[in-house]
This record gives sequence, C-alpha cells and structure tokens, in this order.
Amino acid sequence: MFAVLHVSDFSLQAVLRLERELAGRAVALLDDRLRPPVVVACTREAAQAGVEPGQTAPQAMARCATIQLRTPQPAAEEEAKAGLWAAAFSVSPQVEATAPGVCTLQVGGLAGDRREPALAEALGQLERLGLCATAGLAATPLLALYAARAAERCRCIVPGAEAEFLRDLPLATAEPSAPVAAILAGWGVQTLGDLTALAKADVVQRLGPEGMALWERAAGETTRPLKLIAPPDTFAAELELEHEVETLEPLLFVLRRFIDRLALELRNAGQAAGALTLGLMLSDETCYAREFRLPEPTTKEDVLFRVLHTHLETLHTAATICGVRLECRPARPLERQQGLFESELRDPHGFAETLARVSAVVGPQRVGTPVAEDSHRPDAISLAEPPAVVPAGRSGTGAGWRGPPLRRYRPPRPATVELEGAAPVYVWTPAVAGSVNTRRGPWRGSGEWWDAGRRWQRVEWDVELEGGGVYRLLRTTQGWFLEGEYD
Amino acid sequence: MSAPRETLSSLRQLLAERFPVGTTTSAASLATGVPAIDEALGGLPAGAVSEIVCATPSCGGQLLLGALLRAVRRERGRVALVDAGDSFDPQSWPDDWLRHVVWARCPDAATALRATDILARDANFQLVALDLRLADAKELRRTPAPFWYRLQRAVEAGGLVLAVFTPFMTVPSARVRLELNRPHPFAALADPREALAHALAPQVQRQRMNATRAG
Repeated sequence: MFAVLHVSDFSLQAVLRLERELAGRAVALLDDRLRPPVVVACTREAAQAGVEPGQTAPQAMARCATIQLRTPQPAAEEEAKAGLWAAAFSVSPQVEATAPGVCTLQVGGLAGDRREPALAEALGQLERLGLCATAGLAATPLLALYAARAAERCRCIVPGAEAEFLRDLPLATAEPSAPVAAILAGWGVQTLGDLTALAKADVVQRLGPEGMALWERAAGETTRPLKLIAPPDTFAAELELEHEVETLEPLLFVLRRFIDRLALELRNAGQAAGALTLGLMLSDETCYAREFRLPEPTTKEDVLFRVLHTHLETLHTAATICGVRLECRPARPLERQQGLFESELRDPHGFAETLARVSAVVGPQRVGTPVAEDSHRPDAISLAEPPAVVPAGRSGTGAGWRGPPLRRYRPPRPATVELEGAAPVYVWTPAVAGSVNTRRGPWRGSGEWWDAGRRWQRVEWDVELEGGGVYRLLRTTQGWFLEGEYD
Repeated sequence: MSAPRETLSSLRQLLAERFPVGTTTSAASLATGVPAIDEALGGLPAGAVSEIVCATPSCGGQLLLGALLRAVRRERGRVALVDAGDSFDPQSWPDDWLRHVVWARCPDAATALRATDILARDANFQLVALDLRLADAKELRRTPAPFWYRLQRAVEAGGLVLAVFTPFMTVPSARVRLELNRPHPFAALADPREALAHALAPQVQRQRMNATRAG
C-alpha cells in the first residue's frame, strides 16, 4: 500500500507560511519568469474577488485592489519541502519526494488499522507547520496521488474500488498533453471513466504510445518502484528573508516555524535538541551568532521557542536582519535515576529561562550559585551556574561557626576614624557614626605579595559603636573603611 | 503606634481561635529552625509574603536569613536570594549551605524588585529571599503598593515562601510581619552561631489569617 501527502499550490503556501501578515488576505503568486508575469496561484480570498491563474498583475489588481502580489521564493520552498518530508518520515521511513508538494510513502509495513490515523496525524503536523495538505491511500503510488488530489482531507481507496473511484474523475487528473487533451475533448471524453470505456487497443492505434500511457494511467494500472530519499542527518533551518526585519514579531514567527519542523525531525530520528545555535545575518554584512545549551535535551517546541524568545527580547542588533539560521545539536533524550536524597529541578527549562530573564535584568555574571575561590583574599567569590541536581546536605556543617555573619558593604564605605594609640575610638561615615564602645583587633592579613597587580594588605578591627551595632573596620593603604556589619 | 498594632494582632488571634472554621492559617509553611517564629507562627507561610523588619543594626537579620537557607537546604529545596545591596557574604557561611542558592546581585532596589517579580513565579524555588536592607529609603517608599500585591498573587500561585528583609515597614501585602529590634552585643562574636540563631526573638507585628476558600 502507498500513501501520498499532497500540498496544493505548494509555492504559494510556502510563501504564506512564513509571512504572518498574509494570513486571511487576498494573495496571488506571480510567475516572474514569464513576460509579462502572470498569476499561477492565488488564495481563496483572491479567487472570491475574481482573480484567476493566467491573469497579469494589473488584471489581478483591477479585480482586487487589496491583493498582495508575491513571487516564488526558492528558500521558502526548501523550508516547506523540509517540513513536508519531516511529516512524511513521521509516518514511514520509505519516502519518495515525487514532486514539489508531493511525497509518496510506502506504508505496507504499517498495520492496516494504523495507516489512516498515522496520515491524519501527519496532516495535523503539516497544519502546525503552516501547510494545508491532503492525503491519499491506495494500492499504487498513482492511485494514491489521485486520491490525495481528490480528497478533502484524507481518502482511502480500498482494493476493488479503484474503478468506481476513477470513473468520475476529470480527464485532467491523468495529465494528458495539450494536443491529446484537445483530441479527446473532440471525442467527447471528459472523465477517466469515459476514456477507459474505450478499448485500449483502439486508443493506442489512434493516439500512439502517449495514448497507451494515458489509458493505463486512467485505468490506475500504472505502478512503479519509489525513489527513496534519506532522512536528514543534520537538523538546521535557514532562510534569507524577503524583507529585512526590524522588529521581533516577524523574526519570532519564522523561528517558530523552524522549531516546529526541527522538533519533528528530531522526534522522527529518536533524538532531542541538546543545544540550539542561532545565527542572524545582518544588513551591514555582519553576523550575530549565539549558542544556547539546554538544561535537558528536549523536543518540546514551546520550551525551545521560549529559550530563543527570552534571549531575543533583550537583543538589540546594530542593523536590520536579512537572514536567519537555526541549528539544533542532537542529543539522546535524558534517562537518569536520581539519588534518593538529591533534589532535582521541577521544571529545568523553566529554571533556565528564569535565570536568563533575571540575568537580563541584573546584568551578566550577576546571577548564580556563590562559590568561594581557592584564595585567602577577602571576598574572593565567584558565581557558578546553579546545579541541575543539588546533592544531599552534609550534617553538622555549621557547628564550628561563631558570631553573627558579616553583611558586607560593597564597596567598603570610607570612614573617618579617631585613634587612641593604634586603636580606633571614634568612627564616622555618612551612614553610621559613634564612639567605639568595645573593640577587638588588630587582625592583620596580606597576600599575593608576588603579584604587584593583586597584592593586598589589610588590618581589621571588630568594633561595637555606642548607638548599637557591631561592625568590621578595615584599614588599607588607601585609608580606613567600614567593611560590613555583623548581623 | 505599636500598642494598637499589638491589640489588633491579638484580636485577630482571638478571632482565629474562636472561629476556626471561618479563618485558618495556611497548612503549608517553612519551619525556620528559630523557635520563637516556629512556635508562634508555625514557620513562614508558603504562598504568602513575609516581611522581616530589621529595625536596628546587628539585630540578627542575617542570622535569620541563614536559618532560612539552612531550613530549605534541609528540605532539599532551592532558594533565590535577591540582594538589593549586594551585601551577602558567602565567605561567612559553610559552602554546603549555599549549594542550593541562586544569588542575584542587584545594583539597586528597582532592579531587585524586577528580579523578584520573575523569580517569584518559578516553581523550582521553595524560598525567595529579597534583601532590601541596604536599599535607598526613598526608593523603597516610592514602590507602589500594587507591586507588592502583584508579588503576593505570584507567590500564591506557586506556593513558595517570599521573605522580604526591610529596614522599616514596607510591604503592605505581607501576611506575616516580624520585627527584629534588639542589637546583638559585642560578646556575641564569640558565641556559637547556631545558639545565636536559636535565641532570635522577633516580635510578631502582623499575622493575617488566610481565609478558607469554599470548595
């Protein structure tokens, strides 16, 4: 058994699916290789206004003042073709790219009762990719194609019902050449049934080999082996934009289409996206590239889209965008078992997105899990990426710690200090001032003396001021500072 | 001002005891490990905003923050610490207490509030601690009240604990407001930290009841 996925007016649909503002509008596709260019396809809205294939642009505009005229876009067609292939591979691994907008599938390996649901699912996927398609299921590739073309959505020709199905189809379905079609019209042959009612030998005698091939096509007798294509081994999408993009919306619309298709391809391959690489080609001939590592491999379209959306919301490019490329690095879907006392994230992708959004607010390198550096230098800390899994806590870790912790002023507040001998007796800063009631110190520290750029030396005092409050007072070569409050 | 506030608080408690069906505290809460809080309130309420007013210097606000970090670590949760004054000192804590912490170092209060608005909506966190103690007082007073109610709505949905450390009463939507107003003496520098945290005795300034929703 064979199935066919058919996207009618493929070139037009390829353009429409990448331009959100064209949805529900009168649009016509002009073949600009002809002089003058003529309409080759149009939307239902344009057809309702009287636009027909074969009209020139002025004729189309005369019938519909609001019509949008477009020309075929090879890049958009490539992208649509990739989407169609992805949907086809989700049904069967044996796929033939028969023609633009037509894929033929060998579905003999699929159980009989699963064929139509699988095709319906593929049609749904194509719809999500912005392509309106139909499907046909029959014993030969040709019959399946006829069924797909005649279907409103999905049509199955059961064995034995072929003749009945073919009988009323118009002769044009079998694609006769123009001279043969004119001859047959003269004979009064209008349907495939009319043609096959004639004896095959008589038709061959009068119309030659072309007549024989046409008669066999009309009888549904033609069969052939499929020229199979291989599924993609890279997961990338690229598009040169027809109009340069200045705002976020159109770019996101295109990226959503990319993601829907790439996620489907990854699922077909039993893979998930481990990382995304976004490339934006700018009109000043520069390129912006950014890689996003995902916390967990996934094929969820919404998650992948949110990663890009969150980043692009805060991105400002120096020039308009004229092309976009997105690549997914495949990875095996995550399979792991946690330790009993380890805590993992409830929503890893939501967590990554939250961190990205907070990072956009507070600044890069300002969000993370604090990690003490291997140094005696005071305040030597760095921020690490929060772990996906927090290991179980160790017991008794806080037992040896004494006194209230320090709340550090960054930078330390310059202070004016009165001394009695070497000991501070009065401290003044714009925020805190007072006599020193009790003190402890000095605590001397120094380090990295071998590096002139990083050398440090300090003297610390712990002081309690008369108004209440215990502080750390600091003297460096630059003077006195209030370094923090014990709180 | 404090006497009427205390009267109001005790009146609310009395009503809650007399009419337990009409009003009840939220069942979920985060035990802080500080007896004075856990015995009075059962911990900080989940799905609500708690305000901790640190009215004097060295009053133990950071000790309480440490107790919260430890409590969440014990419960194997995650903490977002939004630090408006960039004053948290990781070197003052054991490394193991900080492995579940996401620290957002903010330059000012406005940035900290925006970051909190994002973090409070993430279900991965059990506690979001917002430290506004070093924030500019004028800036804090300019924060519109609807913002705090929006935060309250956000945490209600996620069921996390939002603890806001402030230098003065700031959060109108706080379900619980505690005030720390006794500075630690100098001698406390030699005391075991666990004992200091254990001895914290914040005053309960407000304890709003969570109305039971029918159905």
